[in-house]
Amino acid sequence: MDRLFELAPEFWVAAAETLYMVALTLLIGGFFGLLLGIVLYTTRPGSLLSNKPVFTIVNVVINFFRPIPFIIFIAAVQPFARYVIGTGIGNDALIFALSIASSFAISRIVEQNLLTVSPGVIEAARSMGAGPIRILRTVVLPEALGPLVLGYTFVLVALVDMTAVAGAIGGGGLGAFALTYGYRQFEPAITWAAVILIVVFVQLAQFFGNWLARKIMRR
Amino acid sequence: MALVSLTDVTKSYPSPEKGGAPIVAVDSVSLEIEAGDVFGIIGYSGAGKSTLVRLINALEPTTSGTIEVGGRTITSMPERELRGIRLEIGMIFQQFNLFNSKTVRANIAYPLQVAGASKAEIATRVDELLDFVGLADKARAFPDQLSGGQKQRVGIARALATSPRLLLADEATSALDPETTQEVLQLLKRVNREFGVTIVIITHEMEVIQSIATKVAVMDGGRVIESGDVFDVFSSPQNPSSARFVSTVVKGVPSPAEVAVLRERHDGRIVTISFRDGGASQSAVFLDLANAGLEFELVYGGINDIQGRAFGHLTLAIRGADAAVDAALAQVGARAEVTEVA
Repeated sequence: MDRLFELAPEFWVAAAETLYMVALTLLIGGFFGLLLGIVLYTTRPGSLLSNKPVFTIVNVVINFFRPIPFIIFIAAVQPFARYVIGTGIGNDALIFALSIASSFAISRIVEQNLLTVSPGVIEAARSMGAGPIRILRTVVLPEALGPLVLGYTFVLVALVDMTAVAGAIGGGGLGAFALTYGYRQFEPAITWAAVILIVVFVQLAQFFGNWLARKIMRR
Repeated sequence: MALVSLTDVTKSYPSPEKGGAPIVAVDSVSLEIEAGDVFGIIGYSGAGKSTLVRLINALEPTTSGTIEVGGRTITSMPERELRGIRLEIGMIFQQFNLFNSKTVRANIAYPLQVAGASKAEIATRVDELLDFVGLADKARAFPDQLSGGQKQRVGIARALATSPRLLLADEATSALDPETTQEVLQLLKRVNREFGVTIVIITHEMEVIQSIATKVAVMDGGRVIESGDVFDVFSSPQNPSSARFVSTVVKGVPSPAEVAVLRERHDGRIVTISFRDGGASQSAVFLDLANAGLEFELVYGGINDIQGRAFGHLTLAIRGADAAVDAALAQVGARAEVTEVA
């Protein structure tokens, strides 16, 4: 326990690093995931801008990257990280890799949630003379907003999980903290301190996501 | 000139199995819908009526044939131009298809925004429509806070927002209970009368046709098997399938089983007299029978009112001397159609 008090400064830095990595990845991966998801949704056969070649290509690309285990993916994209952001190690390299990996995962969640919008509602908008882009912007996205918020909450929780491997490429965060000071130094109390804080983060995120979705869906 | 005219319109879908024959949903249909009509299209599910109505506002492309709406051929029009046409055609749906994320007001405003109306124009028009459908107090409610009937009234207000000349109603009352159905039908009748909006109404319920339609087309297997004035089709359907629909609302000629029951209960001769129009001849018929000194009672049938014109079939049990009955029936035969059933 004493050791935990000694390490308190490092602990809070690690917590802040986790939040930083999760927040930035959610922003970047969330944005590109939304775009890809919209492309998947709108180009699928029978949809607003159905386009078989585009749909097939995007679909194949996503299916190519999705099954790669994240810890290997980090190593695999390291050369690109060096090229694009100037470093292949540390928190920023992790954000780079995780943003790419999560874009693909998020695109599927976005696609699934957009598909829950009733085709009848889209038909109604078409019958009023609305074009595909307008329907996407003013009907599909607003109608799917509640489920989308829940989907992003799920992603947020998954991102907390994935940032825990940052230590593998010299990054920080609560995962690295737990492994370095807890696991490797035989201090289960330290490991558990990190575990408990992560649980608190996840609970808060889930609570907020549920609250927001409920507010949007008015139930 | 007709507001909507379909000439030899066919819609087929590629077969779900590879190399299979295409599925024909609408099979060489020709129809003329005049401005001001309430045109009913009736058929069982799968008869092709929902597909047909979606061809009229080009939500589905036509496979062959031509469709003209307001004198413009829509079957050869590019999608961008069709959007302009759709602004002039309102549509309401069985499942209402309201935007759940928008308030009642925003739902009704939506087509006006698509049409590019100004904020002030939208506000006045939406208020007018809310008053018309009697939902002014629900302007800020969301669709999930409304009853089925209220939802459909919002659907109607939304469909009328851009003041279309034509309103397509796809099974608009099929998800509603009988009382609410009448309420919505009366509202549609007002839309037709007060705004002169031509209505095409798709249904599988003959009551709907009976309540508001002026013309009717009966569909079966993708084809229109009979069409004409509602009164004509109801009073003397030409096709067995139409007759079956008519019999769901019109109690007409007793079936053989019913005749057997009547025979058991009543003596004398059992005769069905069919009145085709006006019903004014009824009193004359009864007078003929009474004057002949015959005893008779009404045992089956009814008189129906369609668009203010009456028709129906009355089955009577008549007692008296055979010769007297024959003479009286000959006399009655000059006024109405007489069929001896037992």
